[in-house]
Amino acid sequence: MVITDPVYFIALPLLTAFLLPLFGKIYKPLIGIIPGLVFAFLAYISFDLYLNLVPGKPIIIQMAGWAPPWGINLVFSEFSGLIVTLITFLAFLVWVYSYNFKKVGFDNSKKYFTLLMLMVAGSIGVVLTGDIFNMFVFLEITAIYSYGLTAFYKGRDSAEAAFKYLLLGSLSSVFILLAILLLYKQVGTLNMADIAVKAQSIDPKMKSIIAILFFVGLGIEAEMFPMNGWVPDAYSQAPGPVAASFAGMLAKSGIYALIRVFYTVLEVKGVFDLLLIMGLLTIIFAEFSAMRQKHLRRMLAYSSIGQMGLIMVAFSFNTKAGIFAGLFLMFNHAIIKTLLFLSSGFLTYSTKQKKIRDLDGFGKIMPFTSLMFGLGAFAIVGLPPFSGFWGKLNMLVATADSNLYFVIALILLVAVVEIVYYFKVIGRLYFRQQHKDVEVHNPTWNAILAMSILAIVIIGVGIYPDLITDYLTKATNELFDKAGYIHSVLPNLSLN
Amino acid sequence: MQEFLTYSIYGTAFFLMLLGLYAVLMKKNLVKIVIGLTVLDSGLNLLFVAVGYISGGTAPIFSPAVVGKHVIMTDPVPQALVLTAIVIGFGVTAVALALVVRLYRKHNTTNIDEIKNLKW
Amino acid sequence: MKKVVVIGSLGVIVYYLLSAFVAIPFGADIIKGVKEFYLQKSPDDLKVANVVTSIVVNFRGFDTLGEVTVLFLASTALGSILYHRRSQHSGLNPQRTSVEASAIVQTGAKIIFPFTVILGAYIFIHGHLTPGGGFQGGAIIATGFLLMLISYRKFFIKHNALTWIEAIAGSTFVILGLFGLIYAKNHDFLENFLPAGKLNDLLSGGIIGIIYIAVGFKVGAEITGILDTLLTVKETGLDPEEN
Repeated sequence: MVITDPVYFIALPLLTAFLLPLFGKIYKPLIGIIPGLVFAFLAYISFDLYLNLVPGKPIIIQMAGWAPPWGINLVFSEFSGLIVTLITFLAFLVWVYSYNFKKVGFDNSKKYFTLLMLMVAGSIGVVLTGDIFNMFVFLEITAIYSYGLTAFYKGRDSAEAAFKYLLLGSLSSVFILLAILLLYKQVGTLNMADIAVKAQSIDPKMKSIIAILFFVGLGIEAEMFPMNGWVPDAYSQAPGPVAASFAGMLAKSGIYALIRVFYTVLEVKGVFDLLLIMGLLTIIFAEFSAMRQKHLRRMLAYSSIGQMGLIMVAFSFNTKAGIFAGLFLMFNHAIIKTLLFLSSGFLTYSTKQKKIRDLDGFGKIMPFTSLMFGLGAFAIVGLPPFSGFWGKLNMLVATADSNLYFVIALILLVAVVEIVYYFKVIGRLYFRQQHKDVEVHNPTWNAILAMSILAIVIIGVGIYPDLITDYLTKATNELFDKAGYIHSVLPNLSLN
Repeated sequence: MQEFLTYSIYGTAFFLMLLGLYAVLMKKNLVKIVIGLTVLDSGLNLLFVAVGYISGGTAPIFSPAVVGKHVIMTDPVPQALVLTAIVIGFGVTAVALALVVRLYRKHNTTNIDEIKNLKW
Repeated sequence: MKKVVVIGSLGVIVYYLLSAFVAIPFGADIIKGVKEFYLQKSPDDLKVANVVTSIVVNFRGFDTLGEVTVLFLASTALGSILYHRRSQHSGLNPQRTSVEASAIVQTGAKIIFPFTVILGAYIFIHGHLTPGGGFQGGAIIATGFLLMLISYRKFFIKHNALTWIEAIAGSTFVILGLFGLIYAKNHDFLENFLPAGKLNDLLSGGIIGIIYIAVGFKVGAEITGILDTLLTVKETGLDPEEN
């Protein structure tokens, strides 16, 4: 029973990260092996915990022996557990992919793995915690990770990208802190469930100011328009697996925080309309920018912003169908974008300028990587039989349910735009003569393994979506059931 | 008196934050931008501590002089939070300065107008 | 023109925020929240005189673990941002300043340095009794090292030692927390499993004092490491690796 405590999701990676420099002194290859063992163990216990979760009975862990609202608590529920399972699974795959990242040398791979462990702990912390200030602390951990690893490679404009992100990230933390301070002074507590109970008595004007502060602050983390100027630069300058971790894990914890705050903690009138408008603007801005990009990574980054916009729109409906579609899109985005970034890592590594036109004819010389990229592209635009299809389909159903027909038109238009720019790349990969001066870096066996697993998941879910729909439905019910969340965190509270 | 204190203390904190934000947005020197960030953080920290104050309250420490007597104590929670906020601010500032060093090494300048390989 | 627009828009934002904040009168005790519980339980159950410490290390100890992680992350990220490949490192001038500090500064630094370290240690050892604690004490120790670094060109810090201190102190925090899962009454992470002792005794508060000492060591080592990394970077000229 001790082994299934959700606190291990955070304590174990932190302990490993603290001790990793010492392991390196004992025996150098341990630097690479130990993180893998930890990620594998975390993935195992998260699957184990998640599959054995009793519906309606989330696992609540209190810290330091104080029941909520006095102590910090962790909530491993159907929703947060789903995201945690996704994060640990992706973390393990990112480790498999970057296990023998020989290019950077021992000293840097030590730092890389330390930072990766801390980031996994941070993004899991954001998802699990039941305390709003604790969530801020973990968000900052993920943010500092991104500043550090965006600037990992020298000789690019990586420091510039990281500095840009740092400025926006600091502003975001100021907004979140102001919101937390105002909230604390209104309700006298920092526990999310407790705030949710007491928030009804807050003056509406004050509440809307708090909501706007949270919206702006968390919007920066969740890549919302117009605060997402950092995304394309950070994604394009960071190393491939790091960009994959941004898309797969960081963006997920950002959007999770946004959803949790507005679904569970603060119920403010009009915030979902605002989310809808900002989400639509994000989609339009991102997809049309993606079409104009010449760099592969920047294109993927803009496409990633577009997906996040779509997720925001799905959650803004505030209906069960919408949440279900949003969760499906989140799952797809995490898996498929990770595959795209991982495969693009080797594609751009082999080109000099990392531009799309340098990729001509790579389908012949790098068949596996090109195939994986093509598969990811087909999946993300929503073609059957890949998992992306079901996400988009559910999204359309949910939009139709909410009677927002112009949104349906927009989603279809955007899908066409996505097809145009992704197929442009695929066309170059397969139907062009290759350039002469290419230096081919074929993927190593571990990278092939990581990409294959992702591809299998994408096709598996695509052919048989019932694999995950059951879990997504449970997560939807959990998120929609605010009273249930409050009741399970604060069982002694009488809701009158 | 109460109103005057409210406006002056919160006003000071917000003035500091305004000053920091202004430096972040308008200054061209990278180091000045980082200084602006720290000023912004200081204003925020001041605000935290000020909001936690309770009139006539002492520090929330049960020293031998206080134990057993009825005393008003200030709110300890914002003080604990501000400690966290300061440490996070420190970490971010350190990373920001390291990035400034990197940018300076690459471009041999700290003027933001001359560092425009990426669109700002 | 741009200036006016920026100041104007900032003014509007700040006006709204300020109007939200002045609704909370300064010094008024308007909320009845978790603080009453903390003010009561800290001296009664935990036997910790400094309530801020008991919040930082016990009630909200998980935050502090995150905080320590932020510092560790910052120092690791700093290392990864400013690294030099080995071959080029030897070509760099390892000296920090071009001129030696004067004899007065050097002698003064040498005299003050041990006292600064002792003061820092005092502050984090008494973190549960008096104002201060691990973060403050660690920061004071780091200023002592900063003083030595800027006064002596040849004062080198062993990064190996810093790594060991960071690793041991950090894992002490987590392992003490994990012990709580096994030995403490409620089997919770970071729960106190040692006898609480008597209020205002040095040996009170159980694991709170020990954790704060570990935090002090870790913070001191990390800030010293950050300062040292920032001080030993090459000062002039373009970096060939960047171009």
